[in-house]
Amino acid sequence: MSDPVVVDRVTKRFAGHTAVDALSLSVPSGLIYGLLGPNGAGKTTTIRMIMDIYEPDEGSVRLFNDVAGGRTHSARIGYLPEERGLYPKMRVVDVLTFLAETKGVARKTARAKALEWLDRLGLGDWRLRKVSDLSKGMQQKVQFISAVLHDPDLVVLDEPFSALDPVNRQVLLDTVIDFRRSGKTVLFSTHIMEHAEQLCDRLCIIARGKKLVDGTLADVKRTHGGKHVVIEFDGNQGDARQIFADRRLVAKLHDFGQHAELELAESADAQEILRALVSSGARLSRFELASPSLHKIFVDLVGPDAATAAANPAGGREREPAGA
Amino acid sequence: MRKVWAVIRREFVERVRTKWFWISAILGPVLMGGIIVFQIMQSVGGAERHIAVVDSTSADYGTRVVESLGGSKLIRATRVPAGPGVIDSLTRLVEAKQLNGFLIISNQLTETGKAEYRASNLSMQTIEELQRALNRLLVKVRLEERGVNPAVVEYAQSLRVTLDQQKIARGQTTRESAGQSFLMAYVIAILLFMAILLYGVNVMSSVLEEKRDRIVEVLVSSLRPFQLMLGKVFGAGAVSFFQFLIWGVSARVLISMRAPIARALGAPEAAAQELQLPHIPFAMLAVFMAFFLGGFLLYSAMFAAVGAMSSNEQEARQAQQPVTYLLMISYLSIIGLTNDPSSAFAKTLSVVPFTSPIATPVRWSAGNMGTGELAISLAMLALAIVGVTWVAARIYRVGILMTGKRPTMKELVRWVRTA
Repeated sequence: MSDPVVVDRVTKRFAGHTAVDALSLSVPSGLIYGLLGPNGAGKTTTIRMIMDIYEPDEGSVRLFNDVAGGRTHSARIGYLPEERGLYPKMRVVDVLTFLAETKGVARKTARAKALEWLDRLGLGDWRLRKVSDLSKGMQQKVQFISAVLHDPDLVVLDEPFSALDPVNRQVLLDTVIDFRRSGKTVLFSTHIMEHAEQLCDRLCIIARGKKLVDGTLADVKRTHGGKHVVIEFDGNQGDARQIFADRRLVAKLHDFGQHAELELAESADAQEILRALVSSGARLSRFELASPSLHKIFVDLVGPDAATAAANPAGGREREPAGA
Repeated sequence: MRKVWAVIRREFVERVRTKWFWISAILGPVLMGGIIVFQIMQSVGGAERHIAVVDSTSADYGTRVVESLGGSKLIRATRVPAGPGVIDSLTRLVEAKQLNGFLIISNQLTETGKAEYRASNLSMQTIEELQRALNRLLVKVRLEERGVNPAVVEYAQSLRVTLDQQKIARGQTTRESAGQSFLMAYVIAILLFMAILLYGVNVMSSVLEEKRDRIVEVLVSSLRPFQLMLGKVFGAGAVSFFQFLIWGVSARVLISMRAPIARALGAPEAAAQELQLPHIPFAMLAVFMAFFLGGFLLYSAMFAAVGAMSSNEQEARQAQQPVTYLLMISYLSIIGLTNDPSSAFAKTLSVVPFTSPIATPVRWSAGNMGTGELAISLAMLALAIVGVTWVAARIYRVGILMTGKRPTMKELVRWVRTA
């Protein structure tokens, strides 16, 4: 079976600047895929092209191995746009029912599912209130429900966790992890690396519309950013200081006495250090191979200049689809 | 189609749920009821009009006037001989509302035909009746002066002409007065204008709401923009039909209750019968509905495009002006249309699709239009709906996802060409 989302060298230009530049990516079935990038990197534009809201100037998007576009498959796709919006004067359950109906769900089923989801996300008591009575965080949860209510195979979430408090964020994180468990494919964008680190099986980092790296989380960590070891001593430190000073093994050292963090040298093997420490008589309570945080990799890769989007020479931020 | 249906239903249900819908739904029948009560009250008010006849004639014409008014349901007259201070005291009685008014007759009546009537309220009905009574008296007196036998005069005056007015329209003769058909055409024109404008603007604000509240992005990820626009237009259209239905049904109920209303107000039932309704044939209702629907579709497509190209209410208010002006042309022509529905001007208006939704029903109701002309008018309107919707849908498609400044005319043309 081919991947549910295949983006092939798509380019999208807006009045004078290129938002997405020959970007290719492929989201395999049944896992969580993170689209990462600084503000203005082209994440939302990419997602809008995937959703068939914008038409790419060049390249193509295939969903479920079909070029027909997202609208044709809307029953199988759930979408949480970056710019959230619900009818403020409608009742919560009515909005959810309506949005599910536009995806082809029968009215009765839609309503039952809406109530089920509202209870699940702790909004059961609010079902008959107007959307405008809800807090921003609650509205975001309602919008999240609208994206997943019709039980889609593919869930596309644009910045799903922004503006949520830690408790609610965890609720949504758990829900997304549940999706993976039930075999759904999740594509989400974020510029907050902690979220990506917690969730992603695979990821793609873009900046200024171009892909910098993609692959599994482990691959990206292995290839970008060095190897780190965290050590804690239990009393006797043996010849630890001498071993740490060996430049062939340790490139960088943060020594805190009973606790040390090492960045290994290029060719070094952590096991060699462990053997050396044990044989020197040091007693260890912790020896941990730590990978660098995604945050560090992201900052190293993107760099300070790419962290801001290229200014639009025409002036002003203008969104303008060339038509669908 | 099921998706369009969902949009139509949402549009309909949410609009019908607002308090504004019900305020206007209730206000219509209240206004109608008010008109009926007012009309009945007017005729009731005249039922007991007490007047005095101040008589300074040498031949005691006052008594004859009172006698001749004796058969009137409207006027109760009493003769008062003229004398010093009589006018003043009667004026005081009128002011104290113990008397409605008084008629002053002198010898002048038979010489120059002049008399005087003073009253707190110069109602047309009273004056007409007084004039008729005085005329009859005058003719009688003058004929008698020339030696005509009073019995002959009596015989001559015993019959009055009743002119049965009938209208010839499209080979059919209907019992309908000129005033009625004019009023009917006028009411139709105003109703159509208001309904098209009101509900067209509703479509616009609904489009604008979805754009402003950022709902449209989710919607267009599952609906084609054209489906969305179609749903909006038909949803708002259904709301206006519902509104009309409420008004129509309540009007029928109110009119069928004229007699009980009249009784409750203590008026004779005859007063209620005076409130005649023009007969509305089925063909006319069909024409009215067809052109309302056509006009609504035509204009709401334009209003939808206006909503899509604006990003806030102020912008929309400006951008809607050309559309509103287009509709205003027909509104401003209503008087001209109703005065002479067969003029070249009226004929032109009923062919041009932007004015025909109002002009054609007016001309049809006035009976100055053949079926051939009607067919042409309808065909032109249908053609225009297709064309305008095509252009509007393209503007809509691009516009709903655009933020920032309003597009220029050049950009709009580009949208239509590239969309």
